[in-house]
Amino acid sequence: MLTADEAGVVLFTLEVAALTTLLLLPPGLASAFALARYRGPGKSALETLLSLPLILPPTAVGLALLEAFSRGSALGGWLAGRGIEVVFTWKAVVLATAVMSFPLLVRSARTAFEEIDPRLVGLARTLGCSPAATFFRVTLPLAWRGVLAGAVLAFARALGEFGATVMVAGNIPGRTRTLALAIFHDSQVGRDDRAAVLAGVTAVLAFAALWTTEWLSRRLERRAEE
Amino acid sequence: MIELSFELPLATAELRVEAELPAAVTAVMGPSGAGKTSLLEAIAGLRRKARGRIACHDVVFLDSARHLRLAPERRRVGYVPQDAGLFPHLTALGNVRFGARAGTRQAETAIETLEIGPLLARYPASLSGGEKQRVALARALATAPRMLLLDEPLAALDVELKERVLPYLMRIRDEWKVPILYVTHNVGEALALAGHVLFLRAGRVEAQGAPLDLLSSPGLSAEAEAGIENLLRGRVAAHDPAGGITRIELDGKLALSVPLAESRPAGSAVTVAIRAEDVLVSTAPVKGLSARNVYEARVEGLERTGVDVTLRCAITGSGRPWLVRVTPAAVEALGLAVGTTVWLAVKSHSVRIV
Repeated sequence: MLTADEAGVVLFTLEVAALTTLLLLPPGLASAFALARYRGPGKSALETLLSLPLILPPTAVGLALLEAFSRGSALGGWLAGRGIEVVFTWKAVVLATAVMSFPLLVRSARTAFEEIDPRLVGLARTLGCSPAATFFRVTLPLAWRGVLAGAVLAFARALGEFGATVMVAGNIPGRTRTLALAIFHDSQVGRDDRAAVLAGVTAVLAFAALWTTEWLSRRLERRAEE
Repeated sequence: MIELSFELPLATAELRVEAELPAAVTAVMGPSGAGKTSLLEAIAGLRRKARGRIACHDVVFLDSARHLRLAPERRRVGYVPQDAGLFPHLTALGNVRFGARAGTRQAETAIETLEIGPLLARYPASLSGGEKQRVALARALATAPRMLLLDEPLAALDVELKERVLPYLMRIRDEWKVPILYVTHNVGEALALAGHVLFLRAGRVEAQGAPLDLLSSPGLSAEAEAGIENLLRGRVAAHDPAGGITRIELDGKLALSVPLAESRPAGSAVTVAIRAEDVLVSTAPVKGLSARNVYEARVEGLERTGVDVTLRCAITGSGRPWLVRVTPAAVEALGLAVGTTVWLAVKSHSVRIV
């Protein structure tokens, strides 16, 4: 069984992953939609740039975030002046997981947007929809599979994020310690059995998230074929 | 009236249209790649590169000289693409209601007109081609459009389905009073539905005018060989089982006998088809002929179509002229000319209820 502290870590990790996914959806969908529609120069360079966090070592991303948000930097100083402390708080955990999850959501949603028949979008316009209404009534409902898949991938990635988090948020028990950090900590201090339990919990959570999506997706798909 | 005066760059050529279309049905014809679909899309506002002027009645859709371009959602045109373009994530009802600007009453009237009530709960994936077309037409009508743009609404359908959807189109034409631009490859459809034809070739208007007058143009006459049909609307008046006939009263009070069709209840609306070559022409009153249907008429037009001649004959006391196909030899032997009084005879078995 989980100890109270461990249960707190599980809860905190779930909260962070859920909050990250929710916060990511608006900018993620906007970027994905813009990339799907954009045909101008520098398209592939832009796409590569957005996918960079997937390839870079997470610790490098964490280091960059630490530099950007520490009190010494322009942004960090400006935030601190308004009483907002990011580094080594739960906000830094969300920030790190969000940056690492962002490309997964964008890539998946972008592909889904690109697969939509552009003529359906035009038809919606002739039927009286403004561009914004068209997005919510046609584009998004038609791309929901890719958007959902992207959101779940982002959520799962947020559950397991380690490198960037440890750099910018540290590993502070009760404040910034997520499951991934707790596993590392337990292993470091020789509590391999507890680390294994937490690893199992992580696996179950990730499996549940993916399986629920698959189930939901099949259910909705069946309904549309009736 | 629809005013078209615009240019639009296409992949291979440029579409350049100068035309004033009457506020009724215009058939847009021409070979593939002539720019027919692009024309519809430009009117609908889906081609941003169109330059010039497009107006429908008093509403200006596009006027490049005044930097005016009405957004597609404010043009209120009902566009039905070739494959119907239904939203796959919505039921038939969801699709019809999608645009329903004029409120649900308009949607309900559209659903009644196209008789899609039983389909409403279904998703497009489970609808047949003809059902999809009818739902798409209802969706367009439900927006109370200023104009309908139909891109080959019957092309994807087999002959049987075609005959089931065509009456709905005629019904829209007669009951909704909406100007219609109708892209088709089929001369029979053009003649049945349209009062005006716009013939495009390689992005240019090659010819325009009344359908029958255009039949002598090279593009049309070749296709006219395929067969022209008169499509007439009417109502079942009575059945005569002993005589083996069903009497139909056509619009314009014309009585027509057809082979007994008791499956159609008396009073129900029907559309009948008569092939232009199945009509006999006589210059004297007909007596002692087995044909049940004989009408006095006047020759209004005479067009060479391929090897044959197509006559346009106005039946005394009736509305729509009939198209009759005869050989040049018959024209000469009977001395047929514009103004000649003729009697048209049709066997009951040459009339099909579609």
